[in-house]
Amino acid sequence: MLRIIAQRAQRRAICSLVAAMLGSPLAYAADEPGASMLSLSAFGTLGIVHSSEDRADFTSDLFKPNGAGYTHAWSPDVDSRIGAQIIANFTPQLSGMVQAISEQNYDGSFTPHVEWANLKYQFTPDASVRFGRIVLPNFLFSQSRNVAYTNPWVRPPRELYSLVPVDSSDGGDFSYTLHSGRVNQTWVGTYGVTNSKKPNGGTGNTRRLWSISDTIESGSLTAHLSYQQGNLTLSKLHTLFGAFRRFGAQGDALADTYDPFNRRLTFFGAGAMYDPGSWFLIGEWGTTDFHSVLGKNTAWYASSGYRLAKLTPYLTYGQLRATSDRSDPGLNVSSLPPALSGPAFGLNAALNSILGSMADQKTVSIGTRWDVLKDVDLKVQYDHTRLSAGSPGTLINLQPGFQTGGTVNLFSIAIDFVW
Amino acid sequence: MRIPSLLATVAFVLLIVGGNVAAADVVAVVSSASAITELSKAQVSEIFLGRVSRFPNGALAVPIDQAEGSQARDEFYFAYTGKSPAQLKAHWAKIVFTGRGQPPKSAPNSSEIRRLLAANPQAIGYLERSAVDGSVRVLER
Repeated sequence: MLRIIAQRAQRRAICSLVAAMLGSPLAYAADEPGASMLSLSAFGTLGIVHSSEDRADFTSDLFKPNGAGYTHAWSPDVDSRIGAQIIANFTPQLSGMVQAISEQNYDGSFTPHVEWANLKYQFTPDASVRFGRIVLPNFLFSQSRNVAYTNPWVRPPRELYSLVPVDSSDGGDFSYTLHSGRVNQTWVGTYGVTNSKKPNGGTGNTRRLWSISDTIESGSLTAHLSYQQGNLTLSKLHTLFGAFRRFGAQGDALADTYDPFNRRLTFFGAGAMYDPGSWFLIGEWGTTDFHSVLGKNTAWYASSGYRLAKLTPYLTYGQLRATSDRSDPGLNVSSLPPALSGPAFGLNAALNSILGSMADQKTVSIGTRWDVLKDVDLKVQYDHTRLSAGSPGTLINLQPGFQTGGTVNLFSIAIDFVW
Repeated sequence: MRIPSLLATVAFVLLIVGGNVAAADVVAVVSSASAITELSKAQVSEIFLGRVSRFPNGALAVPIDQAEGSQARDEFYFAYTGKSPAQLKAHWAKIVFTGRGQPPKSAPNSSEIRRLLAANPQAIGYLERSAVDGSVRVLER
């Protein structure tokens, strides 16, 4: 109930922010050339993906219900999206932004959602604070992942970017940039909550979510460090572990270990990019601990590309490993009355199916970006993924006959634009 | 077979590098009334990429771009930042769509840039060397 009220209040706040921006007088023109009160911009991607695995779906996001493979031989839903943004400069210090995106949602619809909506106060050119909805800066490309034109690839490597659900946080952030010699260092701190709906019909909520990150830029080098923690609740899984609690002390013990109810999630990431102009080298690493049935995971990737006029061919290697146990003996069935052994077997099977389906995989990707027109690129990418023994990797919608531990080939074509 | 192709590659690279040096006849300028007398290429690049918002003396810097698609603009960014028009577009899209800033304002031509520089001692621009006159100071170190 409280959550519904909070969500309504949030929606109202966003609506009034949009209204304020649209309704504010355009007469507030600054004296510099071209300076404008309102600036509108847009971006988008039209992409299709084919997967060699037709008994499971490949998709680009933990919030998408289906994708390429089983649901569609060629799926437009994996990468396609369109976004629009409005920025209003109320005074030189105070500005507001709203960014809405239409893409495949958790329920398969394309209803636009608000990705960013905040008011920013710029104390000095190097210090600002924002209140409202922001996107968390976990990885180098987290905040701009939707604007594929800004990325070298069709999409950021799934190995690392599936580690934590990159999401909008409702709260705020502060940013402070330090300059020393040729080094610029930007510290960003965030605090807020996330509320998302999952394709399985459940919800995911994070409370007391805070992060701190440091981005260091010096010439062609950019380095990024980030730490994040919060308390995560996944409603569907919480219901499952509620059933375990009916089995006395041993059920409680299992639920205490695995139930993702208000459970601390921690993430640490480090990455660097060297881009002198004619080529680039990017590497990122991250590790998460969900302190629940979602376990511990570590991932990294390295990618390099070379720019030949309008073509930028690239090669990427990524690896994702589940570092916690992928099975558990579960409830001791022999100690239970015969009438309870059936349900206990069922619960043990459910627990082991979740633990066993933890993503563990390696991918080699090769592709190229082609800057076709001003503001438009075309990308072609081939991914070869090897799933570790027993793991379905990041694939979803597993169908009867799906073999874990195999290989999957993906072919993607995407056109990106910014305006 | 290998050595000639290697030589051809080296020659090609030299041609590109040499060609860029020759083409980089665009210079960073401020008003002749500005307190700024010299800036390195790296310092100019940081101001135009939005990474630094002040001159070394602490005064606010107001960068002014040439028109999008103009030869002066493309040459300036290639020579000072190593970025092509598409890379520059991607650089700013990343900043704009995360709410972190806006690209510099642009002026339609060199005489308009000279006029804006004269009107604002905090402004910084770039001109083809042939468009430089007494109203501006070339920042060369």
